[in-house]
Amino acid sequence: MPADGFFQRVEETLQAPDPPDDWREVIRELYNRYRGQTRLLDRLTHISDRFQSAERERGHGCLVRYERQVRQLEKIVRISDQYQNMLRDLKDRLEHAANYDALTNLPNRRYMMRRMEEAAAEARRIPERTFALMLADIDHFKAINDGFGHSAGDLVLRAIAQAMKSVLREYDICARWGGEEFLLLFPGCFEDCAETVAERLLKAVAKAPLPEERIVNPTISIGYTLHRSGEHTDETVRRADQALYRAKDKGRNCAVFISVTGSLDR
Amino acid sequence: MNDITISQTPNTPAVSTDYARGVITMAGDSYPENPFEFFKPLFEWVNRYLDTETGPLSLDLELVYLNTSSIRAMMDIFDRMEEAHRSGRTVSVRWLYDPENDRVGELAEEFKEDCTFPFVIAPRE
Repeated sequence: MPADGFFQRVEETLQAPDPPDDWREVIRELYNRYRGQTRLLDRLTHISDRFQSAERERGHGCLVRYERQVRQLEKIVRISDQYQNMLRDLKDRLEHAANYDALTNLPNRRYMMRRMEEAAAEARRIPERTFALMLADIDHFKAINDGFGHSAGDLVLRAIAQAMKSVLREYDICARWGGEEFLLLFPGCFEDCAETVAERLLKAVAKAPLPEERIVNPTISIGYTLHRSGEHTDETVRRADQALYRAKDKGRNCAVFISVTGSLDR
Repeated sequence: MNDITISQTPNTPAVSTDYARGVITMAGDSYPENPFEFFKPLFEWVNRYLDTETGPLSLDLELVYLNTSSIRAMMDIFDRMEEAHRSGRTVSVRWLYDPENDRVGELAEEFKEDCTFPFVIAPRE
């Protein structure tokens, strides 16, 4: 049966009000014609299913690997961040160690010299913004070390440093300058102001709570001066040192001022 | 199998291996200029040791600072050890840190997190 004729016959069979005589023949022919194609369709469906499931599995595998990599990356980032924080903290500690005295936790000589230079530069620019400089020394400190031992001496140094710090304003600086010597810088502070602070320091040290009851509170001697705009800070320190020498000479436990011109005031 | 001996430098740790005992020691900071090249022989050593030997593998670490690439490299080594552990091998890590800087100990804990094999973190005596 030719193809076009056959399809027409199929159409007629479908349209016929009553079953035509050859309807079985038409059905058989239809079955013969499409049997092979049905098998092909089954195979195609099977292959497609197989491919789809393989793709799904591959996709799932990718997802698992991807999620694992993301987790690993997150962990690396987290640990790396912590290492950076650790480095930053170590850097801060080093910086602190470079600028602060380990015993008293006061700024050290190096830090003070830098701050003095900055204050001197400021005073060079604006002469009214000068500063007072004060050198304080614990009286008869050697006797404490000799009588009670160096560790007691260290505790006394700490207690006195703490007492001096407690009377300072936020922007004043008290540094450990050497053994039992402290250098104090008071920005924007003139003679009157410096005198008041010196008296407060003498009192605070005399009342400082000491760690050992056996030790009688030591006193301090203070020499102070003002920085003259334009002079080298060594000059200012030297004047304060001279004033301190006078204070020691006067019998200690007192403060002596030397003006920028070098004249004694007290 | 050749053992590895690398001296410590400011940016790379000391590394030494002992094939006979199955021990790797590493100490110092790690931020090599070329991390891949630096860690490659170590990976190869670990892989060859685990693939050919049956004895235990232990890592003695005193690492301090690790940059990101080194963190990645150490995690890869720990992953390889974890894999070996799951297949029945005896592997372990001992990570000592300076008690003055216990942050290193905390960081070692982060590495330990995904490891089920023995992983000891302790301050150096």
